[in-house]
Amino acid sequence: MNEALTIDGLTVDFGGFKAVDGFTTVVQKGELRVILGPNGAGKTTLMDLVSGKTASTQGTVHLFGENITNRPEHIIARHGIGRKFQIPSVFRDLTVRQNLEVAASGEPGVFRNLRLHMAAEDRARVEDVIALTRLEPVLGTIAGELSHGQMQWLELGMLITQQAKVILLDEPTAGMTHAETFRTAEIINEMKGSHTILVVEHDMAFVRKIAERITVMHMGKLLAEGPMEKIETDPKVREAYLGSGGIH
Amino acid sequence: MSIEDTSTPTSSSSRLQRYADWAVYAVFIVIILGAPMVIDDVFWLNRISKYLVFGMLGIAIALSWGYAGILNLGQGLFFGLGAYMTAMSLKLMSATSLQQGSDKPVPDFMLWNAEPGAVTDLCCINKGSFLWIPFQSQWFGMAMSIVIPLIVAFVLSSSIFRLRVSGVYVAIITLALVLLVRLLLIDAQPITNGFNGLTDLGWLTIGGFEFDPYMVETYYVVAISLTVVLLLGRWLVSTRAGLILQSTRDDPTRARYLGYDVAAYQIFFFTISAGIAGFAGLLYVVAAEFASPSFMDIGFSISMVVWAAVGGRNSLIGACIGAILINTVEATVSETEIFKEAWKLIIGGVFVLVVLYMPNGLAGIARDLLARFERRRKGAPAETAPKAAE
Ligand SMILES: Nc1ncnc2c1ncn2[C@@H]1O[C@H](COP(=O)(O)OP(=O)(O)OP(=O)(O)O)[C@@H](O)[C@H]1O
Ligand SMILES: [Mg+2]
Repeated sequence: MNEALTIDGLTVDFGGFKAVDGFTTVVQKGELRVILGPNGAGKTTLMDLVSGKTASTQGTVHLFGENITNRPEHIIARHGIGRKFQIPSVFRDLTVRQNLEVAASGEPGVFRNLRLHMAAEDRARVEDVIALTRLEPVLGTIAGELSHGQMQWLELGMLITQQAKVILLDEPTAGMTHAETFRTAEIINEMKGSHTILVVEHDMAFVRKIAERITVMHMGKLLAEGPMEKIETDPKVREAYLGSGGIH
Repeated sequence: MSIEDTSTPTSSSSRLQRYADWAVYAVFIVIILGAPMVIDDVFWLNRISKYLVFGMLGIAIALSWGYAGILNLGQGLFFGLGAYMTAMSLKLMSATSLQQGSDKPVPDFMLWNAEPGAVTDLCCINKGSFLWIPFQSQWFGMAMSIVIPLIVAFVLSSSIFRLRVSGVYVAIITLALVLLVRLLLIDAQPITNGFNGLTDLGWLTIGGFEFDPYMVETYYVVAISLTVVLLLGRWLVSTRAGLILQSTRDDPTRARYLGYDVAAYQIFFFTISAGIAGFAGLLYVVAAEFASPSFMDIGFSISMVVWAAVGGRNSLIGACIGAILINTVEATVSETEIFKEAWKLIIGGVFVLVVLYMPNGLAGIARDLLARFERRRKGAPAETAPKAAE
């Protein structure tokens, strides 16, 4: 099975306004797909629909052939969707290590977790992610005290620890410094291949650094899809972006 | 929580802090188990055993408020239910219940209000009296002290948390519920003795041994129970489930996206907390020899929250010690009438100050002092000190 995420005719109707409107795309296993689109195009809403935060009114979402449309968030997560939010979302009162340990639990049930120690393989996964995200110097720090960049990396690290099969990233470099953005691109490039990733991003320099295939959204609909070169020269895309200040 | 928290119990992961933590537990347990060797006044021992029961309530509050982030303003409901269940059994064991002209025990208050000609038997002296029949077994009453709070808490929390009610709404719902049950309890006068509650109780009897509340053995029953609950609670919050619970408190959405059924964790710990409160109710009846609707007064439930806040809601032992300390101080100052009134004001003021300036209570202060000491010893900022990968 090579189709990781299959979105078919997905629509949400907010009282007459369709923030996502008949959106269809197929993301292959191991692919890194960038979603571009002007402000308000419906990119975040699309991620809300796929991850179960918002219920769709039409269409389906399949993950490796399994229908996950409108299931509760934690069930969708257990099927293998991991999500990073636009605003960093980590457990602010727990230490960095504890954040990763929470993400590492292979068992979601309460009773299965009534034990003091983690499974060896879960612990190994935590150590791998610490190395990848270079968080060892701050492992004992309360997550709420991290710098903005570190918090974003921690959240990325949690998705890897979680073993999400398909990872949704909403503007992972928003508010980052140049150096932090560069480091984030490195992390994402390292994740490429072993993870299927869907990333929403505005920063074109960053997109060029990581992109393979690009999907452009406009007014809730799919406007164009293809490799970077094709998208950049697409007249429809230029037009959509002209209306909102051009492609940045 | 709207109040900024910068530390949690498990965030202090340095070795020194962990040792200090265990040292506090050890010292506390030695003190409560050793107290009878120093205090020979049985009246004081009896008093202290009641405060230890309140300490157990502090643990229950810390578990739900500190660790789960669920402010339960109706914990008195579970305490009260636990108290009444055991009190019913002990009432039937009382001498007064055996002297009502029947060969089977019948509570005295039921006879006072009985219709003329009613049969003096639990089966039919009044419409609800049959409910008392199984309570002729002391063990049944004691088991119900824990089982009923568990069931009520499970049903209540299942509906609350499945609907994703949170924050202040949970506080309001629990507050309203304890008020409602208190009214029902008073209203069911024929079987609960209404306002007066259940008094003139018999003593807990195990294997022929009668636990007179003014005996050191009864003190030990309470002290050992508290030790067990404290250690079990400590184990519970140290488990993976305890850590996941804290994550649901910090950011329920993030926890859901990691695959956790947040409501299941909230329901589990809310229910355990209620079971502990019910057990505390059982012990209180054994030590105090009465059960009364005042256990479900709003003021009492709020007091529990104050104890936990002062001791440190993020620390089981902190909340426990907070409850014991406040009650001991209160008992000492309440000897004089003027202070008795002023006490309510003082404790209210203390609560406001604690909430504003020391959200982690006494336990938080102790932790901060230790961290400061550690930093000075190392000569480096402890919080950002690199920790070798294990
Ligand atoms: N729950 C909702 N009810 C009504 N309208 C909504 C709701 N959620 C989003 N919208 C609207 O849907 C549109 C798409 O929003 P969305 O956040 O998905 O855009 P976006 O592509 O992520 O934009 P940005 O680049 O600014 O993040 C916006 O006009 C927004 O106001
Ligand atoms: Mg967005």
